[in-house]
Amino acid sequence: MLAKLFFGYYAAVIILLSLLVVTRKNPVRSVMWMLLLFFHIASLYLFLNAEFIAAIQVIVYAGAILVLFLFVVLLLNLREELKVKRFIGSWPAGLFVSAAILAIVINVIRSFVLVAPPGRYSIEYIKEATHTKALGTILYTEYLFPFEIASLVLLIAIIGAIVLAKRKTRSH
Amino acid sequence: MNNYLLIPFLPLAAFLINILLGRNFLKEKAHWVSILAVAGSWVVAVMTLVDTMAGKTINQDLYSWIVSGNFKVSVGFLIDQLTVVMLIVVTTCSTLIHIYSVGYMHGDKGYYRFFAYLSLFTFCMLMLVMANNFLQLYFGWEGVGLCSYFLIGYYFDKKSASDAGKKAFIVNRFGDFGFGIGIFMIFLTFGTIYYEPVFAQAGGFANNTVNFLGYDVHLMTLIALLLFCGSVGKSAQMPLHVWLPDAMEGPTPVSALIHAATMVTAGVFLVARCSPIFSLSETALMVVALTGAITSLFAATIGLVQNDIKRIIAYSTISQLGYMFLACGVGAYSAGVFHLYTHAFFKALLFLCAGSVMHAMAGELNLQKMGGLKKYMPVTYLTMLLASLSIAGVPGFAGFFSKDEILWLAYSGPSPVGKLVWAIGTVVAFLTAFYSFRLIFLTFHGKFRGTHEQEHHLHESPKVMTIPLILLCVGAIASGWVGIPHLLGGGAHFTEFMKPVLGHPEGHGTHSEEWMVMAVSVIAGFSGIGLAALFYLVRTDIPVKLAAGLSGVHKLLFNKYYVDEFYSFLIVRPAIWTAKNILIGITDAKIIEAIVNGVPKAIGGFSQVIRKVQTGFLQHYATIMATGILIIIALMLLR
Amino acid sequence: MPFVMPDLRPVLPEIVMTVLALAILLADLVIKRKETIAFLSIVGVALVTYVLPGSMGTTFNGMFLSDGYSMFFKLIFMLNVILTVLISVKYIVIEKVNFGEYYALILFSTLGMMLMASAGDLIVLYLGLELMALSTYILAGFIRYDIKSNEAAMKYFLLGAFASAFLLYGTSMIYGLTGTTDLKAISAYIVANGLSGNPVLMLSMILFAVAFSFKIAAVPFHMWAPDAYEGAPTSITAFMSVGPKAAGFAVLGRVFLIAFGSVKLEWSAVLVPIAILTMGVGNIVALSQTNIKRMLAYSSIAHAGYILLGIIAGTSDGMASVLTYMLIYAFMNIGAFAVVIMLRSEGFKGDNITDYEGLSKTHPLAAALMLVFMFSLTGIPPTAGFMGKFYVFMSAINAGYTWVVIIAVMFSAISAYFYLRVVMYMYMKEPKETVQLSTSPAIGLALAITVIAVLFIGISPSTVVNLARAAVSGF
Repeated sequence: MLAKLFFGYYAAVIILLSLLVVTRKNPVRSVMWMLLLFFHIASLYLFLNAEFIAAIQVIVYAGAILVLFLFVVLLLNLREELKVKRFIGSWPAGLFVSAAILAIVINVIRSFVLVAPPGRYSIEYIKEATHTKALGTILYTEYLFPFEIASLVLLIAIIGAIVLAKRKTRSH
Repeated sequence: MNNYLLIPFLPLAAFLINILLGRNFLKEKAHWVSILAVAGSWVVAVMTLVDTMAGKTINQDLYSWIVSGNFKVSVGFLIDQLTVVMLIVVTTCSTLIHIYSVGYMHGDKGYYRFFAYLSLFTFCMLMLVMANNFLQLYFGWEGVGLCSYFLIGYYFDKKSASDAGKKAFIVNRFGDFGFGIGIFMIFLTFGTIYYEPVFAQAGGFANNTVNFLGYDVHLMTLIALLLFCGSVGKSAQMPLHVWLPDAMEGPTPVSALIHAATMVTAGVFLVARCSPIFSLSETALMVVALTGAITSLFAATIGLVQNDIKRIIAYSTISQLGYMFLACGVGAYSAGVFHLYTHAFFKALLFLCAGSVMHAMAGELNLQKMGGLKKYMPVTYLTMLLASLSIAGVPGFAGFFSKDEILWLAYSGPSPVGKLVWAIGTVVAFLTAFYSFRLIFLTFHGKFRGTHEQEHHLHESPKVMTIPLILLCVGAIASGWVGIPHLLGGGAHFTEFMKPVLGHPEGHGTHSEEWMVMAVSVIAGFSGIGLAALFYLVRTDIPVKLAAGLSGVHKLLFNKYYVDEFYSFLIVRPAIWTAKNILIGITDAKIIEAIVNGVPKAIGGFSQVIRKVQTGFLQHYATIMATGILIIIALMLLR
Repeated sequence: MPFVMPDLRPVLPEIVMTVLALAILLADLVIKRKETIAFLSIVGVALVTYVLPGSMGTTFNGMFLSDGYSMFFKLIFMLNVILTVLISVKYIVIEKVNFGEYYALILFSTLGMMLMASAGDLIVLYLGLELMALSTYILAGFIRYDIKSNEAAMKYFLLGAFASAFLLYGTSMIYGLTGTTDLKAISAYIVANGLSGNPVLMLSMILFAVAFSFKIAAVPFHMWAPDAYEGAPTSITAFMSVGPKAAGFAVLGRVFLIAFGSVKLEWSAVLVPIAILTMGVGNIVALSQTNIKRMLAYSSIAHAGYILLGIIAGTSDGMASVLTYMLIYAFMNIGAFAVVIMLRSEGFKGDNITDYEGLSKTHPLAAALMLVFMFSLTGIPPTAGFMGKFYVFMSAINAGYTWVVIIAVMFSAISAYFYLRVVMYMYMKEPKETVQLSTSPAIGLALAITVIAVLFIGISPSTVVNLARAAVSGF
C-alpha cells in the first residue's frame, strides 16, 4: 500500500513538473522545474531498487546536462525570448489529439497480461549480486554489442556538436 | 541463319547514330547512315525470302525480358511467309523512299532528325511484322504510331501540321484502346501471348461465350472485333478514317512510306496474322468485309471531287485499304495481303510523284492551279501515269492481278455478303480509275493554270528523286506477276506461297463466271479512265456543269460527308465544353488557359489544396503525425 | 556467468566500417586535400563490400543476423555511399562546406543502416536507427550559414525524436508483454501464448508501424521530408532519400514479417491505408511543386508507397520485389539528384524546375540523362523503374491485393505528369539563360554508373531479380 502511495506521488509529480517545464514562459524557470523533475525521476529509479541508475540520473542529467542548459539559456536574449508566444494557434487541436490518444492507451493498457516468466534477474538475484554489479555484468557480456553501438552514438553527438558549432562559418 | 536479326537492328543502329551524332557531326551527311542501314536490311530480307521460299521458317525468342509465373515477355521473332512478304515490302519501300528524301528534304534544317525518325519508324515497323507475340506486336504498333506522330508534326512550327499530328495520335487512341483490351482478353483466355500456342488452341474455344457487360458474347467474335478496333484506327477505316487525310501535312516521303505503303497496312497485316481467330467467327469476318467495302466506296466518292493532290491520293489509300479488308473479310486473306503488297509499290510511287510535282510547283497542292506539266517533267509524268494505270486495274499491271483476285474470291467465296461486297468493289474500281485519271489529266495535261512565276520555276526533279520513281515503277508494273491466276495461264504463286500461313481460300465458281468477273472489273476500270478523259480533256465544261447541277451532292462529297464536323459536334466540342465548365467551377480564372488539360489541372488544383497542409510549422507537423496515430489506433482498437 | 568471446566474423563489415569512419575522421586532421578523403572513403567502402559476402552468420546471441536479406540491403547502402560521395566532391566545394567530417558522418550513418538491416534484437535496431538518424540530422544541417539547411536539420531532428519516442514506447510494450526484445523470441512467444488478438500487442505493432513509416516518409508521417529534403545539401538529400528509406524498409520487413508474423492480417490492415495515402499525397502534391528538390521529395514519398505494397504482400516474392525496387530506386533517384547537383554552381541555385528550360539545347547530354531518370521514376519501359513497379505490383496481385494495385497504377499514371513536365521543360522550351554545369570526373562516373544500371536492369532484370529472390530465400 505504502509502495503504491509512493509511486502515485512520484508519477503524479513527474507529470505535473513536465507540464510546468513546457508551459513556462521564462526559460530559466523551465530549466529549474526540469531539475526538480530529474530528481523525481531519480527517486522513481530508487524505488525500483536501481540505485546505480538513480545516481547516474542525478549526476549526468541534473549535474551535467542541466548546467549546460543553463549556460545556453544565459546566452539567449531573455527579453526577446519572453516576447515569443509559447504556443501556436492550433494548440487546442494538439491537446485534443494527445488527450484522445491517452484515453485509448489507458483503455488498452488494461488488457495487459503478464504471462512472461520471470527472467534471471529477479529481485532476489539483484539483492544478492548488488544492482551495480548485475548491471555492469550484463552490459559487458550479454549486451556488449548494443553497448558498443551506444558509444558510437555518443561519438556522433560530439562530432555533430563540433561540426555545427565550432566550424568557422564561411558565408558569402 | 541468325543474320535475320540485322533486319530490324540495322535501322535501329542508324537511328541511334543519327540522333546522337546527327546534329553536330553528320549534319547533311546524315542520310548515308540511314540509307546504308535500310539497304542492308533489304539485302538481308531478300536472303531471308530465299530461305523462306526453300521452306525454312523461324520462330525463336531472342531474350526474355520479364518472367513471372506463367507470364512471360520476351523479344522473339517469327519469320514465316507472311512476315517475309511484309519484310520485302517494308525494306524495299523504305530504302527507295530514304533515297528519294535526300533530294526532297535537301536543305531542311532538321535534316538529320528527319532521317533519324525515318529509321526509327522502319525499326518499329519491322519489329511489328517480325513479332512472335502480341505484346511485341503492340510495342511495334505503338512505336510506329509515335513515329508517325513525330513525322506528321515534323514542321511543328506550322499549326496545321502539329494539329494533324495530334489528331492522328488521338484518333488512334480510340482504336488502340480496343486493341489493348483484345490482347488482354487473349492473355486471359489462353494464358499466353504467343502466336503459336494461341492460334493452336483457338479452335478449342470456338464455341465459348463470355459475359461482357451483362450479355453472353461469343468469345472469338469479341476478341476478333477488339483486335479489329486497332486495325480500324491504324488503317484509317470508317469511322476512324479522319486522321489520314490530315496526316498529309507531313513531308511527302513520310506520306509515301508511312501513310501509304507500310504503317497503315499494319491493320491488314494484323487481321491476316490473326486469321486463325477471325476465321472462327463469321460475324467478325462479316464486320471486317462490310467495313472494308463501305470505307472503300465512301473514300472513293470523296476522292472524286477533291482538289488537293495529296489528299486525293490519301482518300485513294483509304479506299484501297478498304479493299484489303474486304478481301480478308471474305476469307481471302492471301488476296488481301497480295493487294497490300502490290498497293505498296504503286501507292508509294503515286505519293512520290506528287512530291515531285510539289517540288516543281514550290509546294502548291491545288490541282486547279496545275496543268500541262507533262512537258516539263517527263519522268514524273510517265511514272505517275503507269502507277495510275496500275491502280486503275488495267490488265497486265500489278494492281489488276491483286484487284481481280479479290473481286473473284468475293464473288465466289462462301461469305454471305460476298456478292454485295463484290458489287461495291466493282463500283469502287470504276471510281478509282476515274479519280486517278482526273488527277493525271488535271496535273499533266491541258494548259498551265498557275502563276507565271510558278511556270518559270517548273523543272524535273533531280536524279536522286527520279531514280527511286523509276525503280518503284518497275514494282508497280511487275510486282503483280507473281500472282497471275491459273485462268490466265499463270501459276498463282503468291497464294501458293502463302498457303502455310493463310490457308487456301475456297471459291466455288465456273471458269465462265471467273471470266465474267474479270471482264466486268476491266470494263469498269476502262470506263472510269474514259470518263475522266471525256470530262477533263475533251469537254472540260461538263464537270463544272455537273457540280452546279448536283450542287448538293458535290458539296456533301467536297466536305467529306461532314464527318469531321460531325465528330466536332459529337465529341470534341462536348469534351471541351465539359472541361471548360467544370474547370470554371473549381478553379480560379488564372488557370483557364489550361482548358484542354482539364483533368490534370483539376488534380493540380486539388494538389494546391493539400499542399497547404505543409505549412512549415513544426508544431503542425507533429500534430498531424499524432492525428495519424490517433486515427490508426482508433480504427484498429476501437472496433 | 562466464564471458565467451562472441564470433566476430559476421560483424566484420561493420567493424571495418567503424574503423574506416574513425580513420577518416583522423585523416581529416592531416590531409588537407578533401578529395583525397573522398577517394579514401570510396576505397574503404569497397573494402567493406569485399568482406561482405564472407560474413554470413549469426552472433551476439542472435542480436546480430547477417543473412542474405541484410546483405542485399547492405549492398544498397554501399552503393548509396559510393554514389553520394561521388556526387559530393565538387558540390561541397561549391557550397563551401568542404570538411572531412562530412565523409565521416556519411560513413557513420551508413554504419547505422547496416546495423539496422542486421538487427535481430529491438535494442540493436533502435541504436542502429539512432546512429543513422543522428548522423543524418547533422548532415542535413551541414551548410551552417544557410538558414534553410538549419531549418531542415532542426525539423528533421525534432520530428525524428518524436518518432523515436513512439518506437521506444512500442518496444517497451512488447518487452512488457513478452519479456524479450529478440525478434524471433517475440514471435515464438506470441504464438505460444496465443497473444495474437491482444490490444497491447496491436498498440505496440501500430507504434512500430508509425516509427518506421516516419523513416520511410510514409503519409501522414512524411511531413518532415519535403522541408528536410529541400533545405539539406542536395548531395545529402540524395543520400537520405535512399539510405534511411532502405534501412526503414529493412527493419519494417524484418520486424513485421518475423516478430509480428502471426498478426499479418492486422498489420496489413494498418499498412494498406498508409500505402494508399502515401501514393496519393506523394503523387498529387508533387504536381504543384516548383522546386525540383521538393518535387523529388514528394516523388520519394510516393515511391515509398509503391514499395510498401511489396511488404503488404508479405510473401517472399513480395520481399524480393522490395529489395529489387529499393536497388533500382537507389540508382534512378541518385542519378536524378546528380543532374540536379550539376546545375548548382557558384552563385546559381539551379533547383527550380524552370531552370531546366531548354536544357536539351544547352547541355544535351545532361538533358538526356535526366530524361532517362525521369522516365525511370515514372516507370516507363524499358527503364529499370518499370521493372521495379512491375515486380512489386505483381507480388501484390498474387497476394490478393489487386484493388490496391489498381489504385497504385492510377497514381502512377498521375506521376507521369510531373516527371514528364521536367522533360517537357528540357526539350520543348527555349533556354532563358545559359545554365553553367558544374561537372567533375567524379559526378561523371556517378552518372555513368546510374544510367547504365537503370538501362541495364530495365532491359535485363533477371540478374537483379534472381539475386533478390536468393537473398530472401532464407528469410
